[in-house]
Amino acid sequence: MTTPVAGGLAQELAATVDELRRMTVQVRTGGAASGAGVLWSAGGSENGGLIITNAHVVRGNQATIELSDGTAVRARVVAHDRKRDLAALEFEPYSAMVAAVVRGSPLLRVGELVIAIGHPGGLVGAATLGIIHAVESEGEGRTPRWIRADMRLAPGFSGGPLADTTGRLVGVNTMMQGGLALAVPAAAVEAWVRRAHALAAP
Amino acid sequence: MSTVLQSLSAELADAVQSAGRAVVAIHARRRIPATGVHWRPGAVVATNHTISRDENITVTLSDGITVPASLAGRDPSTDLAVLKLAGQSLPTASLRADTPPRVGELVIALGRPGPSVTASWGVMSRVDGPWRTWQGAEIDSLLRLDLAIYDGFSGGPLIDGGGRVLGINTSALARGVPVTIPVATVERVVTELLERGTIRRAYLGIGTQPVRVPKSLGRKLELTLDTALLIVSVEPGGPADRDGLLLGDVLLELDGAAVSDSADVLAKLGGDRVGRPLTARVIRGGQVKTLQVTPGERPQSQAA
Repeated sequence: MTTPVAGGLAQELAATVDELRRMTVQVRTGGAASGAGVLWSAGGSENGGLIITNAHVVRGNQATIELSDGTAVRARVVAHDRKRDLAALEFEPYSAMVAAVVRGSPLLRVGELVIAIGHPGGLVGAATLGIIHAVESEGEGRTPRWIRADMRLAPGFSGGPLADTTGRLVGVNTMMQGGLALAVPAAAVEAWVRRAHALAAP
Repeated sequence: MSTVLQSLSAELADAVQSAGRAVVAIHARRRIPATGVHWRPGAVVATNHTISRDENITVTLSDGITVPASLAGRDPSTDLAVLKLAGQSLPTASLRADTPPRVGELVIALGRPGPSVTASWGVMSRVDGPWRTWQGAEIDSLLRLDLAIYDGFSGGPLIDGGGRVLGINTSALARGVPVTIPVATVERVVTELLERGTIRRAYLGIGTQPVRVPKSLGRKLELTLDTALLIVSVEPGGPADRDGLLLGDVLLELDGAAVSDSADVLAKLGGDRVGRPLTARVIRGGQVKTLQVTPGERPQSQAA
Protein backbone atom coordinates (compact mmCIF):
# COMPACT_ATOMS: atom_id res chain seq x y z
CA MET A 1 0.00 0.00 0.00
CA THR A 2 1.33 3.42 -0.87
CA THR A 3 0.43 6.03 1.68
CA PRO A 4 -0.05 9.62 0.51
CA VAL A 5 3.11 10.66 2.39
CA ALA A 6 5.39 8.03 0.87
CA GLY A 7 3.92 8.66 -2.58
CA GLY A 8 4.40 12.41 -2.28
CA LEU A 9 7.90 11.86 -1.01
CA ALA A 10 8.83 9.69 -3.98
CA GLN A 11 7.42 12.21 -6.47
CA GLU A 12 9.15 15.16 -4.87
CA LEU A 13 12.42 13.29 -4.69
CA ALA A 14 12.17 12.39 -8.37
CA ALA A 15 11.45 16.04 -9.27
CA THR A 16 14.43 17.30 -7.26
CA VAL A 17 16.69 14.67 -8.82
CA ASP A 18 15.53 15.73 -12.31
CA GLU A 19 16.38 19.33 -11.50
CA LEU A 20 19.81 18.33 -10.18
CA ARG A 21 20.56 16.21 -13.23
CA ARG A 22 20.26 19.30 -15.43
CA MET A 23 23.15 20.96 -13.61
CA THR A 24 25.30 17.82 -13.56
CA VAL A 25 27.65 17.10 -16.46
CA GLN A 26 29.96 14.27 -17.45
CA VAL A 27 33.62 15.18 -17.60
CA ARG A 28 35.84 13.27 -20.02
CA THR A 29 39.52 13.51 -20.53
CA GLY A 30 41.39 11.26 -22.93
CA GLY A 31 38.22 9.71 -24.27
CA ALA A 32 37.13 7.86 -21.14
CA ALA A 33 34.38 9.10 -18.87
CA SER A 34 36.20 10.04 -15.72
CA GLY A 35 33.71 11.72 -13.47
CA ALA A 36 31.00 14.26 -12.91
CA GLY A 37 30.95 18.03 -12.80
CA VAL A 38 28.71 20.82 -11.58
CA LEU A 39 27.47 23.51 -13.93
CA TRP A 40 28.69 26.43 -11.85
CA SER A 41 27.75 29.28 -14.17
CA ALA A 42 26.00 29.12 -17.52
CA GLY A 43 28.06 32.02 -18.90
CA GLY A 44 26.86 34.92 -20.96
CA SER A 45 27.71 36.97 -23.99
CA GLU A 46 31.04 38.08 -22.50
CA ASN A 47 32.29 35.19 -20.45
CA GLY A 48 32.24 31.48 -20.90
CA GLY A 49 30.33 28.94 -18.89
CA LEU A 50 32.07 27.38 -15.91
CA ILE A 51 32.13 23.77 -14.73
CA ILE A 52 33.52 22.78 -11.33
CA THR A 53 34.81 19.28 -10.79
CA ASN A 54 37.52 17.48 -8.82
CA ALA A 55 41.14 17.98 -9.80
CA HIS A 56 41.55 14.19 -9.79
CA VAL A 57 38.86 13.90 -12.48
CA VAL A 58 40.70 15.96 -15.12
CA ARG A 59 44.08 15.18 -16.64
CA GLY A 60 45.76 17.65 -18.93
CA ASN A 61 44.30 21.03 -19.86
CA GLN A 62 41.47 19.99 -22.15
CA ALA A 63 38.29 18.05 -21.44
CA THR A 64 35.06 17.11 -23.12
CA ILE A 65 31.91 17.98 -21.22
CA GLU A 66 28.70 16.14 -21.89
CA LEU A 67 25.67 18.09 -20.78
CA SER A 68 22.55 16.43 -19.41
CA ASP A 69 20.80 16.73 -22.79
CA GLY A 70 23.60 14.77 -24.43
CA THR A 71 25.38 17.70 -26.07
CA ALA A 72 29.15 17.36 -25.98
CA VAL A 73 31.26 20.51 -25.77
CA ARG A 74 34.98 21.16 -25.53
CA ALA A 75 36.23 22.78 -22.36
CA ARG A 76 39.50 24.30 -21.26
CA VAL A 77 40.95 23.77 -17.78
CA VAL A 78 41.32 27.27 -16.33
CA ALA A 79 42.18 26.33 -12.74
CA HIS A 80 43.52 23.11 -11.24
CA ASP A 81 44.17 22.76 -7.52
CA ARG A 82 45.46 19.36 -6.53
CA LYS A 83 45.57 20.25 -2.85
CA ARG A 84 41.92 21.29 -2.65
CA ASP A 85 41.04 18.67 -5.29
CA LEU A 86 39.11 21.22 -7.37
CA ALA A 87 39.29 22.13 -11.04
CA ALA A 88 37.45 24.75 -13.09
CA LEU A 89 36.67 24.23 -16.77
CA GLU A 90 35.55 26.97 -19.13
CA PHE A 91 33.41 26.34 -22.20
CA GLU A 92 31.49 28.23 -24.87
CA PRO A 93 28.04 29.03 -23.45
CA TYR A 94 25.25 26.93 -24.74
CA SER A 95 21.61 27.97 -24.70
CA ALA A 96 19.06 27.07 -22.05
CA MET A 97 21.35 25.89 -19.31
CA VAL A 98 20.59 26.22 -15.64
CA ALA A 99 23.52 26.63 -13.29
CA ALA A 100 23.69 25.38 -9.71
CA VAL A 101 22.35 27.59 -6.94
CA VAL A 102 24.54 27.55 -3.85
CA ARG A 103 22.90 27.29 -0.47
CA GLY A 104 24.32 30.13 1.55
CA SER A 105 22.12 29.71 4.60
CA PRO A 106 20.84 28.20 6.79
CA LEU A 107 23.79 26.17 8.06
CA LEU A 108 23.70 22.45 7.39
CA ARG A 109 22.31 20.32 10.21
CA VAL A 110 23.30 16.78 11.17
CA GLY A 111 20.54 14.43 10.05
CA GLU A 112 19.44 16.62 7.15
CA LEU A 113 18.72 14.77 3.88
CA VAL A 114 21.14 15.26 1.00
CA ILE A 115 21.16 14.02 -2.59
CA ALA A 116 24.22 13.19 -4.71
CA ILE A 117 24.22 12.91 -8.51
CA GLY A 118 26.94 11.17 -10.50
CA HIS A 119 27.74 8.62 -13.17
CA PRO A 120 28.90 5.44 -11.44
CA GLY A 121 30.15 2.80 -13.86
CA GLY A 122 28.86 4.72 -16.87
CA LEU A 123 25.34 4.96 -15.47
CA VAL A 124 24.58 8.57 -16.37
CA GLY A 125 22.71 10.74 -13.89
CA ALA A 126 22.42 8.24 -11.05
CA ALA A 127 21.14 9.58 -7.74
CA THR A 128 21.63 8.55 -4.16
CA LEU A 129 20.14 9.78 -0.90
CA GLY A 130 21.80 10.13 2.48
CA ILE A 131 21.99 12.33 5.52
CA ILE A 132 24.56 14.78 6.84
CA HIS A 133 26.76 12.74 9.18
CA ALA A 134 28.75 15.48 10.84
CA VAL A 135 29.21 19.20 10.69
CA GLU A 136 32.51 20.46 12.01
CA SER A 137 32.02 23.00 14.76
CA GLU A 138 31.07 26.31 13.21
CA GLY A 139 33.22 28.12 15.79
CA GLU A 140 35.44 30.96 14.68
CA GLY A 141 33.29 31.48 11.59
CA ARG A 142 35.58 29.26 9.56
CA THR A 143 34.31 27.25 6.65
CA PRO A 144 34.65 23.55 7.51
CA ARG A 145 37.07 21.64 5.31
CA TRP A 146 34.68 18.79 4.49
CA ILE A 147 31.03 17.93 4.58
CA ARG A 148 30.63 14.32 5.73
CA ALA A 149 27.56 12.48 4.53
CA ASP A 150 26.24 9.05 5.50
CA MET A 151 25.98 7.73 1.94
CA ARG A 152 27.99 5.40 -0.26
CA LEU A 153 29.39 6.88 -3.45
CA ALA A 154 31.14 5.05 -6.29
CA PRO A 155 34.06 6.73 -8.10
CA GLY A 156 31.82 8.09 -10.89
CA PHE A 157 30.26 10.50 -8.37
CA SER A 158 33.53 12.45 -8.04
CA GLY A 159 33.13 16.11 -8.95
CA GLY A 160 29.33 15.95 -8.96
CA PRO A 161 26.86 17.86 -6.80
CA LEU A 162 25.75 17.19 -3.25
CA ALA A 163 22.49 19.08 -2.79
CA ASP A 164 19.79 19.62 -0.19
CA THR A 165 16.12 18.68 -0.61
CA THR A 166 15.32 22.01 -2.26
CA GLY A 167 17.93 21.31 -4.95
CA ARG A 168 20.46 23.86 -3.74
CA LEU A 169 24.13 22.95 -3.91
CA VAL A 170 25.84 22.23 -0.58
CA GLY A 171 29.04 20.59 -1.79
CA VAL A 172 31.11 18.91 -4.50
CA ASN A 173 31.49 15.15 -3.88
CA THR A 174 35.14 14.26 -3.69
CA MET A 175 35.95 10.98 -1.98
CA MET A 176 34.96 8.18 0.37
CA GLN A 177 36.76 7.94 3.69
CA GLY A 178 35.96 5.53 6.51
CA GLY A 179 32.66 4.62 4.86
CA LEU A 180 31.57 8.27 4.64
CA ALA A 181 31.17 10.48 1.58
CA LEU A 182 33.30 13.63 1.76
CA ALA A 183 32.35 16.75 -0.18
CA VAL A 184 34.06 20.13 -0.50
CA PRO A 185 31.56 22.61 1.00
CA ALA A 186 29.89 24.85 -1.58
CA ALA A 187 31.05 27.95 0.33
CA ALA A 188 34.66 26.76 0.05
CA VAL A 189 34.16 26.17 -3.69
CA GLU A 190 32.77 29.68 -4.05
CA ALA A 191 35.78 31.19 -2.30
CA TRP A 192 38.11 29.04 -4.40
CA VAL A 193 36.43 30.10 -7.67
CA ARG A 194 36.76 33.76 -6.69
CA ARG A 195 40.45 33.31 -5.89
CA ALA A 196 41.11 31.29 -9.03
CA HIS A 197 39.41 33.93 -11.21
CA ALA A 198 41.34 36.73 -9.57
CA LEU A 199 44.54 34.86 -10.40
CA ALA A 200 43.45 34.17 -13.95
CA ALA A 201 42.40 37.79 -14.61
CA PRO A 202 44.97 39.89 -16.51
CA MET B 1 6.80 26.02 0.49
CA SER B 2 7.32 23.14 2.89
CA THR B 3 7.09 19.95 0.86
CA VAL B 4 6.98 16.43 2.27
CA LEU B 5 10.64 15.91 1.33
CA GLN B 6 11.74 19.11 3.06
CA SER B 7 9.62 18.36 6.13
CA LEU B 8 11.17 14.91 6.41
CA SER B 9 14.64 16.41 6.16
CA ALA B 10 13.87 19.01 8.83
CA GLU B 11 12.28 16.41 11.12
CA LEU B 12 15.30 14.12 10.87
CA ALA B 13 17.60 17.03 11.74
CA ASP B 14 15.26 18.00 14.62
CA ALA B 15 15.33 14.41 15.92
CA VAL B 16 19.13 14.39 15.83
CA GLN B 17 19.30 17.75 17.56
CA SER B 18 16.88 16.93 20.38
CA ALA B 19 18.18 13.42 21.06
CA GLY B 20 21.76 14.60 20.62
CA ARG B 21 21.56 16.73 23.77
CA ALA B 22 21.61 13.57 25.89
CA VAL B 23 24.43 11.97 23.87
CA VAL B 24 27.91 12.31 25.36
CA ALA B 25 31.47 11.37 24.41
CA ILE B 26 33.20 8.92 26.73
CA HIS B 27 36.95 9.01 27.21
CA ALA B 28 37.89 5.70 28.76
CA ARG B 29 40.19 4.07 26.22
CA ARG B 30 43.28 4.91 24.21
CA ARG B 31 41.71 5.13 20.78
CA ILE B 32 39.02 7.55 19.75
CA PRO B 33 36.33 8.27 22.36
CA ALA B 34 33.16 6.21 22.43
CA THR B 35 29.57 7.31 22.93
CA GLY B 36 27.22 7.27 25.90
CA VAL B 37 23.65 8.30 26.67
CA HIS B 38 22.51 10.34 29.67
CA TRP B 39 19.82 7.84 30.61
CA ARG B 40 18.68 8.93 34.05
CA PRO B 41 19.65 12.07 35.98
CA GLY B 42 23.34 11.68 36.76
CA ALA B 43 23.62 8.21 35.13
CA VAL B 44 25.19 7.67 31.71
CA VAL B 45 24.88 4.37 29.84
CA ALA B 46 27.84 3.23 27.76
CA THR B 47 29.09 -0.02 26.29
CA ASN B 48 31.37 -2.12 28.47
CA HIS B 49 33.80 -2.94 25.67
CA THR B 50 34.61 0.73 25.07
CA ILE B 51 35.56 1.35 28.71
CA SER B 52 39.04 -0.07 29.08
CA ARG B 53 39.86 1.55 32.42
CA ASP B 54 38.00 1.87 35.72
CA GLU B 55 39.41 5.24 36.70
CA ASN B 56 40.30 8.55 35.09
CA ILE B 57 37.16 8.45 32.98
CA THR B 58 35.88 11.72 31.58
CA VAL B 59 32.74 12.57 29.66
CA THR B 60 32.24 15.39 27.14
CA LEU B 61 28.69 16.73 27.33
CA SER B 62 26.64 18.12 24.46
CA ASP B 63 27.59 21.68 25.43
CA GLY B 64 31.26 20.83 24.92
CA ILE B 65 32.24 20.74 28.60
CA THR B 66 34.31 17.77 29.78
CA VAL B 67 33.64 16.47 33.29
CA PRO B 68 34.93 13.54 35.37
CA ALA B 69 32.75 10.45 35.70
CA SER B 70 32.89 7.43 38.02
CA LEU B 71 32.13 3.87 37.00
CA ALA B 72 28.97 2.64 38.76
CA GLY B 73 29.27 -0.87 37.34
CA ARG B 74 29.71 -3.03 34.28
CA ASP B 75 27.85 -5.97 32.83
CA PRO B 76 30.02 -7.76 30.27
CA SER B 77 27.18 -10.16 29.46
CA THR B 78 25.04 -7.37 27.95
CA ASP B 79 28.06 -5.16 27.07
CA LEU B 80 26.60 -2.34 29.15
CA ALA B 81 28.22 -0.11 31.73
CA VAL B 82 26.90 2.77 33.81
CA LEU B 83 28.84 5.91 34.69
CA LYS B 84 27.85 8.49 37.28
CA LEU B 85 28.17 12.22 36.78
CA ALA B 86 28.01 14.68 39.65
CA GLY B 87 25.81 17.76 39.58
CA GLN B 88 24.98 18.00 35.88
CA SER B 89 21.81 19.59 34.59
CA LEU B 90 22.07 17.80 31.25
CA PRO B 91 18.73 16.62 29.79
CA THR B 92 18.08 12.88 29.90
CA ALA B 93 17.16 10.81 26.85
CA SER B 94 13.50 10.49 25.94
CA LEU B 95 12.85 6.75 25.86
CA ARG B 96 10.40 4.86 23.69
CA ALA B 97 9.50 1.91 25.87
CA ASP B 98 5.84 1.48 24.95
CA THR B 99 5.97 0.61 21.23
CA PRO B 100 8.71 -1.67 19.92
CA PRO B 101 10.40 -0.72 16.64
CA ARG B 102 9.04 -2.30 13.47
CA VAL B 103 10.92 -3.86 10.57
CA GLY B 104 11.26 -1.17 7.91
CA GLU B 105 10.94 1.68 10.37
CA LEU B 106 13.25 4.63 9.64
CA VAL B 107 15.86 4.89 12.39
CA ILE B 108 18.95 6.98 13.14
CA ALA B 109 22.06 5.94 15.05
CA LEU B 110 23.85 8.73 16.90
CA GLY B 111 27.45 8.89 18.05
CA ARG B 112 29.66 11.48 19.67
CA PRO B 113 33.18 10.21 19.09
CA GLY B 114 34.44 13.77 19.52
CA PRO B 115 33.04 17.18 20.30
CA SER B 116 30.05 17.07 17.96
CA VAL B 117 27.22 14.63 17.41
CA THR B 118 27.27 12.48 14.27
CA ALA B 119 24.51 10.43 12.66
CA SER B 120 23.81 7.59 10.29
CA TRP B 121 20.42 6.51 9.08
CA GLY B 122 18.74 3.37 7.87
CA VAL B 123 15.92 1.01 8.69
CA MET B 124 15.21 -1.72 11.21
CA SER B 125 16.06 -4.88 9.36
CA ARG B 126 15.03 -7.40 11.98
CA VAL B 127 12.88 -7.36 15.10
CA ASP B 128 12.61 -10.65 16.96
CA GLY B 129 11.95 -12.13 20.35
CA PRO B 130 14.33 -12.58 23.28
CA TRP B 131 17.84 -13.88 22.67
CA ARG B 132 20.83 -14.79 24.74
CA THR B 133 24.30 -13.33 24.39
CA TRP B 134 27.32 -15.64 24.29
CA GLN B 135 27.90 -14.80 27.95
CA GLY B 136 24.41 -15.91 28.83
CA ALA B 137 22.54 -12.65 29.38
CA GLU B 138 18.99 -12.45 28.13
CA ILE B 139 18.23 -9.52 25.82
CA ASP B 140 14.52 -8.74 25.62
CA SER B 141 14.37 -8.51 21.86
CA LEU B 142 16.69 -8.93 18.88
CA LEU B 143 17.04 -5.64 17.02
CA ARG B 144 19.16 -5.66 13.87
CA LEU B 145 19.87 -2.63 11.76
CA ASP B 146 20.35 -1.85 8.11
CA LEU B 147 22.65 1.10 8.66
CA ALA B 148 26.34 1.87 8.95
CA ILE B 149 27.83 1.97 12.43
CA TYR B 150 30.98 4.09 12.43
CA ASP B 151 33.98 4.06 14.76
CA GLY B 152 33.02 5.27 18.21
CA PHE B 153 29.29 4.66 17.71
CA SER B 154 29.04 1.85 20.28
CA GLY B 155 27.16 3.12 23.32
CA GLY B 156 25.19 5.59 21.25
CA PRO B 157 21.41 5.55 20.96
CA LEU B 158 19.25 4.27 18.16
CA ILE B 159 16.46 6.81 17.77
CA ASP B 160 13.20 6.96 15.87
CA GLY B 161 12.05 9.77 13.57
CA GLY B 162 10.74 11.64 16.59
CA GLY B 163 14.05 11.56 18.43
CA ARG B 164 13.00 8.95 20.98
CA VAL B 165 15.51 6.33 22.05
CA LEU B 166 14.85 2.71 21.01
CA GLY B 167 17.98 1.27 22.58
CA ILE B 168 21.78 1.34 22.78
CA ASN B 169 23.90 0.26 19.80
CA THR B 170 26.86 -2.05 20.18
CA SER B 171 29.10 -3.83 17.75
CA ALA B 172 30.53 -6.22 20.36
CA LEU B 173 27.64 -8.63 21.01
CA ALA B 174 27.15 -10.29 17.63
CA ARG B 175 30.51 -10.78 15.89
CA GLY B 176 30.90 -7.18 14.83
CA VAL B 177 27.38 -6.91 13.41
CA PRO B 178 25.67 -3.97 15.04
CA VAL B 179 22.74 -4.79 17.27
CA THR B 180 20.62 -2.57 19.45
CA ILE B 181 20.03 -3.44 23.10
CA PRO B 182 16.38 -2.55 23.65
CA VAL B 183 15.23 0.00 26.22
CA ALA B 184 13.70 -2.68 28.50
CA THR B 185 17.01 -4.53 28.85
CA VAL B 186 18.98 -1.32 29.39
CA GLU B 187 16.50 -0.21 32.08
CA ARG B 188 16.89 -3.50 33.91
CA VAL B 189 20.68 -3.42 33.78
CA VAL B 190 20.89 0.26 34.75
CA THR B 191 18.67 -0.27 37.79
CA GLU B 192 20.70 -3.23 38.98
CA LEU B 193 24.10 -1.64 38.32
CA LEU B 194 23.09 1.54 40.15
CA GLU B 195 21.78 -0.49 43.12
CA ARG B 196 24.43 -3.18 43.41
CA GLY B 197 27.30 -2.28 41.09
CA THR B 198 27.15 -5.72 39.48
CA ILE B 199 24.62 -7.93 37.76
CA ARG B 200 23.68 -10.84 39.97
CA ARG B 201 23.66 -14.12 38.10
CA ALA B 202 23.00 -17.56 39.44
CA TYR B 203 25.42 -20.39 38.69
CA LEU B 204 25.78 -24.11 39.33
CA GLY B 205 29.49 -24.63 38.77
CA ILE B 206 29.25 -27.32 36.10
CA GLY B 207 30.58 -27.74 32.62
CA THR B 208 28.42 -29.68 30.19
CA GLN B 209 28.61 -31.31 26.81
CA PRO B 210 25.56 -32.24 24.72
CA VAL B 211 25.29 -36.00 24.20
CA ARG B 212 22.91 -38.30 22.39
CA VAL B 213 21.05 -40.66 24.73
CA PRO B 214 21.09 -44.18 23.24
CA LYS B 215 17.63 -45.14 21.91
CA SER B 216 17.43 -48.26 24.04
CA LEU B 217 18.17 -46.33 27.23
CA GLY B 218 15.75 -43.59 26.22
CA ARG B 219 13.00 -46.18 25.72
CA LYS B 220 13.78 -47.91 28.99
CA LEU B 221 13.68 -44.64 30.93
CA GLU B 222 10.73 -43.28 28.94
CA LEU B 223 12.55 -40.12 27.84
CA THR B 224 11.04 -37.74 25.31
CA LEU B 225 14.23 -36.04 24.10
CA ASP B 226 17.19 -37.85 22.62
CA THR B 227 19.78 -35.17 23.52
CA ALA B 228 20.88 -34.33 27.05
CA LEU B 229 23.88 -32.76 28.78
CA LEU B 230 26.78 -34.81 30.05
CA ILE B 231 28.39 -33.15 33.07
CA VAL B 232 32.06 -32.99 32.15
CA SER B 233 33.30 -30.79 34.99
CA VAL B 234 32.15 -29.96 38.50
CA GLU B 235 33.69 -27.02 40.29
CA PRO B 236 34.98 -28.28 43.66
CA GLY B 237 32.93 -26.76 46.46
CA GLY B 238 30.58 -25.10 43.96
CA PRO B 239 26.77 -25.29 44.23
CA ALA B 240 26.43 -28.46 42.11
CA ASP B 241 29.25 -30.22 44.00
CA ARG B 242 27.71 -29.28 47.35
CA ASP B 243 24.30 -30.60 46.32
CA GLY B 244 25.58 -33.91 45.02
CA LEU B 245 25.74 -33.62 41.22
CA LEU B 246 28.52 -35.88 39.98
CA LEU B 247 30.93 -35.91 37.09
CA GLY B 248 29.37 -38.21 34.49
CA ASP B 249 25.75 -37.50 35.40
CA VAL B 250 23.63 -36.82 32.32
CA LEU B 251 21.41 -33.82 32.95
CA LEU B 252 17.93 -34.22 31.45
CA GLU B 253 15.81 -31.49 32.98
CA LEU B 254 15.98 -28.44 35.22
CA ASP B 255 12.72 -27.45 36.91
CA GLY B 256 10.74 -29.53 34.44
CA ALA B 257 12.33 -28.01 31.32
CA ALA B 258 14.40 -30.28 29.09
CA VAL B 259 18.02 -29.22 28.63
CA SER B 260 19.94 -30.12 25.49
CA ASP B 261 22.26 -27.13 25.24
CA SER B 262 24.23 -25.03 27.72
CA ALA B 263 21.97 -22.09 26.81
CA ASP B 264 19.02 -24.07 28.26
CA VAL B 265 20.90 -24.24 31.56
CA LEU B 266 21.74 -20.53 31.49
CA ALA B 267 18.09 -19.77 30.81
CA LYS B 268 17.29 -21.21 34.25
CA LEU B 269 19.96 -19.16 35.98
CA GLY B 270 18.69 -15.59 36.17
CA GLY B 271 19.71 -13.37 39.07
CA ASP B 272 16.51 -14.23 40.96
CA ARG B 273 17.49 -17.93 41.18
CA VAL B 274 20.37 -17.35 43.58
CA GLY B 275 19.56 -19.38 46.72
CA ARG B 276 16.32 -20.84 45.30
CA PRO B 277 16.53 -24.63 44.72
CA LEU B 278 16.05 -26.13 41.25
CA THR B 279 14.87 -29.67 40.62
CA ALA B 280 17.36 -31.54 38.46
CA ARG B 281 16.66 -34.84 36.69
CA VAL B 282 19.74 -36.80 35.75
CA ILE B 283 20.66 -40.23 34.43
CA ARG B 284 23.08 -41.85 36.85
CA GLY B 285 24.10 -45.49 36.57
CA GLY B 286 21.38 -46.20 34.02
CA GLN B 287 18.64 -44.90 36.28
CA VAL B 288 16.80 -41.58 36.37
CA LYS B 289 17.45 -39.74 39.58
CA THR B 290 15.94 -36.49 40.85
CA LEU B 291 17.84 -34.10 43.10
CA GLN B 292 17.61 -30.57 44.40
CA VAL B 293 20.37 -28.13 43.47
CA THR B 294 20.59 -24.62 44.89
CA PRO B 295 22.37 -22.16 42.58
CA GLY B 296 24.86 -19.80 44.12
CA GLU B 297 25.81 -16.30 43.06
CA ARG B 298 28.25 -16.38 40.21
CA PRO B 299 31.59 -14.90 41.16
CA GLN B 300 32.62 -11.96 38.95
CA SER B 301 34.73 -12.53 35.87
CA GLN B 302 33.70 -16.13 35.55
CA ALA B 303 32.31 -17.01 32.17
CA ALA B 304 30.12 -20.08 32.76
